[in-house]
Amino acid sequence: MKSTLLAGALLAFATATSVHAQAIKLANVAELSGGGATVGTNWKNGIDLAIEEINAKGGVLGRKLEVSHADSQSNPGVARAQVQKALDAEPYVLLGPGYSGSVKVTAPLAAEAGIAQIMGGEAAELTQAGNKFLFRTSFGQQSSMPKVAKYIHDEMKAKTVAVVWVNNDFGRGGRDVVVKELDRLGSKVVADLSTEAGQADFAADVGKIKAANPDAVFVYLNEEESARILKELKRQGVTAPLMGETTLIGQKVIELAGDAANGARGHVGLTTDAPVDLIKAFREKFSKKYNYVPDHNGLKGYLAVYMVKATTEKMGKVDPKKFADTLHGLTIKAADEPGILMDVTFSDTGDIDRQSFLVEVVEGKQVVKQVLPKVK
Amino acid sequence: MISFGKPLKIALGLIVIAGLIIVPMNFNRYGLFILSQWAVMTIAAMGLNLTLGYAGQVSLAQGAFVGIGAYAAAVMTTHGWPLPAAIVVAIVLSFAVGWVLGYPALRVQHHYLAFVTLAFSTLAFLVFRNESWLTGGIYGISNIPRPHIFGFATNKPLPFYYVCLGSLAIVSLAVWWLIRSPWGRAFMALRENPLRAQSLGIDTRRYTLMAFAIGSALGGIAGGLYAPLTQYIDPVPFNLSLSLDLLMMVIVGGAGFYFGPFLGAMIAVLLPEWLRFTEGYYLMLYAVAVMLLLIWSPTGILGILDRYLAERRTKAASALRAVAKSRLETVQ
Repeated sequence: MKSTLLAGALLAFATATSVHAQAIKLANVAELSGGGATVGTNWKNGIDLAIEEINAKGGVLGRKLEVSHADSQSNPGVARAQVQKALDAEPYVLLGPGYSGSVKVTAPLAAEAGIAQIMGGEAAELTQAGNKFLFRTSFGQQSSMPKVAKYIHDEMKAKTVAVVWVNNDFGRGGRDVVVKELDRLGSKVVADLSTEAGQADFAADVGKIKAANPDAVFVYLNEEESARILKELKRQGVTAPLMGETTLIGQKVIELAGDAANGARGHVGLTTDAPVDLIKAFREKFSKKYNYVPDHNGLKGYLAVYMVKATTEKMGKVDPKKFADTLHGLTIKAADEPGILMDVTFSDTGDIDRQSFLVEVVEGKQVVKQVLPKVK
Repeated sequence: MISFGKPLKIALGLIVIAGLIIVPMNFNRYGLFILSQWAVMTIAAMGLNLTLGYAGQVSLAQGAFVGIGAYAAAVMTTHGWPLPAAIVVAIVLSFAVGWVLGYPALRVQHHYLAFVTLAFSTLAFLVFRNESWLTGGIYGISNIPRPHIFGFATNKPLPFYYVCLGSLAIVSLAVWWLIRSPWGRAFMALRENPLRAQSLGIDTRRYTLMAFAIGSALGGIAGGLYAPLTQYIDPVPFNLSLSLDLLMMVIVGGAGFYFGPFLGAMIAVLLPEWLRFTEGYYLMLYAVAVMLLLIWSPTGILGILDRYLAERRTKAASALRAVAKSRLETVQ
C-alpha cells in the first residue's frame, strides 16, 4: 500500500513536472521585411521583450512562453502561407500580422482553426465581420477618428477642414472614417489630399491647402512625412490649427520638425510618449534592449503578450478553445497586471476600450490638454 | 537533352507528374499552399519565358498582367460569375492589353523596352490602387470564392491544389505545342536575328505583338488562379517586385528552355521557405544563392545541364572525328 502511494506520488510529481516544463507556444507572423518592416520589427521586438520579462518571473501559470517568428514580407499572400504554417503547428495563440490587408486574409484561417488571433491592424472593418477569434491591440480607426472629428468640430470650431492622408490602408482607412464623421457633424471638407508613403516634397499639397483656406487641417501621415509637411506648412505660412492622430505629434516628428511642430495638436491612443509612468518605464526598457526608441507598434506587440498572460491567468489554465471567450468582455487593470500598461476592456467584437489623450506640442514638448476617459 | 533516350524521358516525366499528384496528399495545408503557389507562378513565368526567352523581348510588366488577371477573377467571382468564365475574361483582357503594350516593342529594344514596361507596371499598380470603385483600392477585395469544378467544391487546400496543377498541365501542353509550331520557330527567329527573320518572310511586327500578347495572357491565367488561391487581393503583391521576381524565375531557371520556368519558380517559391530556419538571414542568403548561381551559370540552371550535354556531345563528336580521321589515314 505504501509503495503504491509512493509510486502514485512519484507519478503525480513526474506528470506535474512534465506539464511544468512544457512551454506555452505562441506563433507570430509579422512584416519583418518589405514595406512594413518597421511595423513588424517593432511588433516582434515588443513581443520578445514581454516574453523575456514574463519568463524571468517564472512564466504563465508556472509555464514558460515560447514564440516562433515568421516573416510575411508585407505581402498578404505570403502572410497567408505563414499563418497556415503557424496554425498547422497548433499554437496557443496567434500574434500578428500588423497590416490590415494581411489580417483580412489570415483571420478566417485562425477562426476556422478556433485559435485566437491578437493582431496590430487598425482598419475599422476588421472587427465588424463577426469574427469571434480576432482581437485588437490598439484602437480601431472607428474608435479614434470620431474623437478627432468631434474635437475639430467642437473645440477648434472649424467649419471648413482640409484633410491630408497617406494613400495606404492605414491612411485611407482613417481618412474615410474622419471625412464621414466631419460630414455628419457639419464641418465641410474643402480639400481632400492623397499623398504617397515616403513622399519628400509637400509644396504642392500645402499650396492646395493654402488655396482652400480651411479653418483647420487634419494631417494623417507616417511620422517622417508628418515632419516634412509640418515644415512646409510653416514655410508657406499656413496659420490654420493642425490636428492629427497619433503620428502627427509623436516624439520623432517633434525632433525632426523642430519649431514647425509647435502648436500641432492630436489625439493619442497609444504612444510611447503617453504621460503614463508604466509606459515611460516600458520605453526605457525597450530602448535599453534594442538601442532605439520604439513606436506604437512596439507597444502593441508587448501588450499582445500581456493580453495572453492576463487571459490565461484569468482562466487558470492553458485552454486555447476557451481563450477567445474569456478575453471577450474582459477588463484588465494595470494595477493587477502592470504589463498591460493602462486599464483596458475588450468588447465582444475584440475591440479595445481604453483611456486616450488630447495633446498639443508646446515649445517642442507634448502637453496633455485633455484626458478622454474610457467609453464604458 | 538529346542524350537522354526518349523512353527514359517519358518515364521521368511520368514519375514527376505522378509525384506531383500523389505526394501532396499527405501534405499539411501550408505545404499545399506553397505548392499551389509554385504552380501559379510557373504559369506566369512560362508566359514571360515566351516573351523573353523565346521572342527576346525584355518585359518588366508580367507582374502587372498577373494583377490584371487576379483583379478580373476577383471582381467577377465575387459578383457570382464562375471562375472559368472569369479566367476567360482574364485571358482576353491580358491578351488585349499585352498586344497594345507590344507596340512600343516595335520601336525600342532591350533596356529601353524594359523601361517602357516598367512604366506600365507602375501604371497598373496605380490603377489597382486608385480606381477603388472597381478594385476596392487599398482595401482590396476579400472573400474571393473558390470554384466548383464539375460539381466538386474546391474550398479545401488539396482540391484547389489539383485545380492549380491541372491548369498548369493544360498551359504546359499548350506552350509545348506552341513552341514547336511555326509560331514558336518564328519567335526564336525574332530573338536570334530579326533582320534575317524578316528577309525570310516572317511578319516580325505581328509576331512581336503576338509574343507580348500570348505571354501576357498566360500572366492573366496565373492571376486568375492567384485570386482564389489567396482569397484576398490588394494592389501590393502586384507591384514591380513581382515582375522582377518573375523575371528572376525565368533567368534563374534558364531563359529559352522549356523547363526553365518550372525550376525557376521552384527556386523562387521554395528556396526562401527552406531557408526560413535562418530567420533574419533567409532573404539575404536567398539573394546570395541567386547571385552565385548567375555568376556560375549566366544561362540559369538548365544552362548548366545544356553546357554539360553540349560538352559531352562535342567530346563524342570529336571522338568520332578522331576515329574517322584515323580510318581515313589508314586508307591513305
